[in-house]
Amino acid sequence: MQIQFKLNGKIIQEETEPQETLLDFLREKLNLTSVKKGCDEGECGTCTVLLNGKPVRSCLLLSAQMRGTDEVTTIEGLARAGEMSEIQEAFLEKYGFQCGFCTPGMILTAKALLDENPRPTVQEIKDQLEGNLCRCTGYEQILESVQRAAELRAARR
Amino acid sequence: MELAYLEEVRKLLHGRDYHVVGTDVKRVDAVEKVAGLAKYSADYLIEKAVHVKAARSPHAHALVKKVDRESALRVPGVVEVLTADDVPGENQIGYLVEDQPIITNKARYCGDIVALIVARKERAAWEGADRLQVEYEPLAEVFDPRESLQSSLRIHDHGNIAAEAKIRKGNVDEAFRRCEVIIERTYRTGSQDHAYLEPEAAVAIPTGARGVTVIGTNQNPFRTRHTVARVLGWKDSEVTITTPYIGGGFGGKDTYGPVICSLAALAAVKSGRPAMIVYTRYESFAYRFKRGPFEIKYKTGATQDGKLQAVDIEYLVDAGGYATWTVGFTKRAAYHATGVYSVDNVRVEGRAVYTNNLPNAAFNGFGNPQMLFAVESQMDIMAGALKMDPVEFRVKNALVPGSRTGTNQLLDHAVGIQELIQKVAVQADWQGKRKEYALAQEGNKRRGIGVGCSWHGCGTTGFKRDWAGASVIINPDGSVSYSTGIVEIGQGTTTSHAMMVAEVLGIPFEHVRVDVNNTGTMPDSGETHAQRGTIIGGTAAVDAALKLRKRMNRLASEMWECSEEEVAFEKGETYNLRNRSQRISFSELAYEMYMRGIPPAEYGFIKARRGYPDPETGQGDTYAAYTFGCTMAEVEVDLETGQVDVLRLVPGVAAGKIIQPAVARGQVIGCGMLGLGYALTERVQRRDGRMMNPSYTDYQIPTIKDKPEMADLVIVEDEFKYSGFGAKGVGEIAFIATPLAIANALDQALGIRFYDMPLDREKIYFAIKEKKGHGSRS
Amino acid sequence: MEAEVRPLPKMEYRAPSSLGEALALLKDWQGQARLLAGGTDLIPKIKKRAVAADLLIDVNRISGLSGIELGKDGLQIGGLARLAEIEASPLVREKAPALTQALQIMACPPIRNRATIAGNLCTASPAADTAPPLLVLNASVRLQGSGGERMVPLAEFFLGPAETVKRPDEILTAVIIPLEEGRSGFLKLGRRKAFTLSIASAAAFAKTRGGRIEEVRVALGAVAPTPIRGRKVEETLKGKEANEANIAQAAEWIRSEVKPISDVRASAEYRRDMSYVLTRRVLGKVA
Repeated sequence: MQIQFKLNGKIIQEETEPQETLLDFLREKLNLTSVKKGCDEGECGTCTVLLNGKPVRSCLLLSAQMRGTDEVTTIEGLARAGEMSEIQEAFLEKYGFQCGFCTPGMILTAKALLDENPRPTVQEIKDQLEGNLCRCTGYEQILESVQRAAELRAARR
Repeated sequence: MELAYLEEVRKLLHGRDYHVVGTDVKRVDAVEKVAGLAKYSADYLIEKAVHVKAARSPHAHALVKKVDRESALRVPGVVEVLTADDVPGENQIGYLVEDQPIITNKARYCGDIVALIVARKERAAWEGADRLQVEYEPLAEVFDPRESLQSSLRIHDHGNIAAEAKIRKGNVDEAFRRCEVIIERTYRTGSQDHAYLEPEAAVAIPTGARGVTVIGTNQNPFRTRHTVARVLGWKDSEVTITTPYIGGGFGGKDTYGPVICSLAALAAVKSGRPAMIVYTRYESFAYRFKRGPFEIKYKTGATQDGKLQAVDIEYLVDAGGYATWTVGFTKRAAYHATGVYSVDNVRVEGRAVYTNNLPNAAFNGFGNPQMLFAVESQMDIMAGALKMDPVEFRVKNALVPGSRTGTNQLLDHAVGIQELIQKVAVQADWQGKRKEYALAQEGNKRRGIGVGCSWHGCGTTGFKRDWAGASVIINPDGSVSYSTGIVEIGQGTTTSHAMMVAEVLGIPFEHVRVDVNNTGTMPDSGETHAQRGTIIGGTAAVDAALKLRKRMNRLASEMWECSEEEVAFEKGETYNLRNRSQRISFSELAYEMYMRGIPPAEYGFIKARRGYPDPETGQGDTYAAYTFGCTMAEVEVDLETGQVDVLRLVPGVAAGKIIQPAVARGQVIGCGMLGLGYALTERVQRRDGRMMNPSYTDYQIPTIKDKPEMADLVIVEDEFKYSGFGAKGVGEIAFIATPLAIANALDQALGIRFYDMPLDREKIYFAIKEKKGHGSRS
Repeated sequence: MEAEVRPLPKMEYRAPSSLGEALALLKDWQGQARLLAGGTDLIPKIKKRAVAADLLIDVNRISGLSGIELGKDGLQIGGLARLAEIEASPLVREKAPALTQALQIMACPPIRNRATIAGNLCTASPAADTAPPLLVLNASVRLQGSGGERMVPLAEFFLGPAETVKRPDEILTAVIIPLEEGRSGFLKLGRRKAFTLSIASAAAFAKTRGGRIEEVRVALGAVAPTPIRGRKVEETLKGKEANEANIAQAAEWIRSEVKPISDVRASAEYRRDMSYVLTRRVLGKVA
């Protein structure tokens, strides 16, 4: 079956099958390997993408579910014209990563928060990121990165 | 490592301040990771690759009588079924004991690989593995190490002992006679899963008539290469391992890397096609090797003045079906068995025993989390018996420069533990909190503060020598190509290497590029484990850079007719210290080297400054240097539910010179959470050799909300003079100390000591209930 | 032991745009079809082969089934309302605080952004966190089939683990919560601080007047084959003065009302003891 939806700002049209998850579709059909398969059952967060601006588990969605009006954002969609977004800069500056495997999902989930809530409290950041597991950082520098991202965004306004 | 590299570097830099080392730079992997461009093994999606699935024994101990290949080959899309008979080289991948086939004829743990299904599509591989008919002859199973010790059942022909470790120092029996306080207890530590977010994966590509390149998750490219070559029956030079970004290792991919890469390579070479194997999270949990369980009988003796006199330790390790890395950590536990204390009389008897449980892997701490749980619990009990404050007791016995370890190694410098404990105590307000929580507490919550001290020798444990190579090439334009066999698993070590090279050459950090890790084009740096990446791997980098500097110094001295010692390299410029108008840019000098035919490339190679301990007494210089750690933990327990809330963690490390402060901080905090998870939320639940909770749903690693308040990191920079910039290692030390501190804090909070790690919630709850004499309902 | 997650099997897929279409498909496929709403329970279950479906009926394109509003019967939540929307709703926070509290600590935002209330109730895990709050709030559910519609009190909805009175040809289209004066609250015990299944959970509703408990209801999750009401607790406490001693005494009855099991997450004995603790604590929150 054919599906069509907006991906990182561009309309794409591709073949898929009902049993193909959005995760596999993004990785295997479109080579967007930034979306990871950490567990394939929604329990780790590494497959998180934004669907119409909201973080969702792509391993729990079928690509067939995507409609023309849907917009999917992966981390590749954050940089504009070769420049990183503030949130990526913040993660760089504040060492919000180590092995990097949870990073795309983490950054996208944080971005969704900042889009809705430009000055989140520490509690609000934790509430948003509670479903994104990280084994390396112990989360402290991730928290600091999100706070820094909020500052950078406010400064650029 | 015979050179006092730190002194050499200081001399060469004329004692100037560092411009790169000790600062926070943009890591070499930073942009790729935050941009989502970083590729991990499973991201190499080669279109015509065949998919590989392991067919596994459902029995924990059984002979494989017959593998009916046809039953799987019949499935459309299945192209190969590989059994033990199809291993072209040696069917042997054992690490220190040669007891482990890559594909087995005898299953020794539940999940042991009995065949490989190779298929054109992933779904066909699954189906092939489902349909494969295998005839087994089940054998008697043993899951308890004590039972295995006594049993006549043979898992391996050579007997049930997989490893031994002995320490004999001084006269333990005589020393105990002098002791006024003697405490003897038994401790048990359970398994732990690495649970890194990236499952194991490898892609193998046949190259030419006799060659294969494997892109796979590993922490030791050269050992992996050798293992792959061995099973293929090829030379090392015919196999190439390229290590992409690794999504977390913690030792798990150190042990499992050779396995997963060999599986892919076998399938690729046999099928003649690129072959891909990606473990599911279930496979990673259920079948990948984990932390080894210990049972430790620990006896400590001290005189009334609070001086430790003797320790007598006996321990048993569950090795599982194959020895793998168990030999290493059985020995490491013995070498560290005194803890961070000076003890003149030491007897240790350690044994690892085969069972039909899952084999063990290296995992952050490698025997130390287990042994030091016993040590640090003992220290608290002893302090109580001596009526001394637990911190005071530790400080009194701590190793100092000039001390000898339990293996009689002289530590003449870089022994920052005493200072560290004292500084952490101040940071944690130990005295105030300890006194506060000693007072009667009301209500349903109880608080306590506890301390845990750790040490961890930097460098590979074991029989073989520990070496590292590095390569530095200065390009004609003055940029530098650096390569090392140390792998980037998230810890940022290759960035540290590049920083040290940049510092020695006096150039901006951005001018040093770290090459992709590829065994064909870079030197063997040994394994990325045991906190050796910077202290040993990085010293090889400095070794290479120093050699080049000397050559460049000589060139400049010839150009300017000054002495070699007067040439300085700083911020991309080279100049004569005595006459600063004589200067040249680093890039121009580099080009000049080429013009004059002076070799612009150098290879660094060192062996770790370490001895070869006597197998009967364990005496010898077991590690180049030791990193020390101290963590204090404040906890609050809900008496009615047994829930433990860690209120605050105060970690400290004495890891020599810190190359990247922000990265070291991240390591320490990450390790702290790993320790919190081990102590409180994670449990490998086993029954009859099977893991009952092989998913993130039921193997609970800490989330962001489980993070306690983290105090500012306490650092003691007790520089080690034989490493490049005085650095030691920092990757494991903070993990080890954390569960120990939590257990000790619980003891203060509840007045109950737990002798098992993990600190199981229900165990805590029922112990509280029993202590209260809590009856059932009215 | 848990089953392995595998690639999804071949299935058919339809995305009806009306309830009528969806019901017709359900009827046609005679139990071989499954409703795909949030998918957060269904997809993993199919991957583990715990559930099979020849056809997935994606109901996410049906409009009019996800509203949250006040109606004549009370607070009306459309079956396809996302848990995240329900959690964020000021109306729900005001009229059904126990439900808001449960949603705040259920799963995590990416799961809540897709999961629906109908899905959570129909999956009927004994540990479903939305159930205890809805039970104490006397909620009912509307089930619509091709033959007609019916209202079922939630207290009669659950039959056992993964079993409800909903027929294979029905869709749960609304949850109705009658408005009632009083306070409600929810507590959960997990194995870590977030993103974890309940080992035991408890919700309570109480109306007190002049320090006396006029009306009280308590419900527990994860301690019986279905979420349950603690009726003996309620009987004991109703009419009494709202103080610690009375609450503690009444809460003791929950021990004989729960039927917990031992599994990889907790032992039956621990669950039983925690039932008492949570019951007492949640009652303390509302009475």
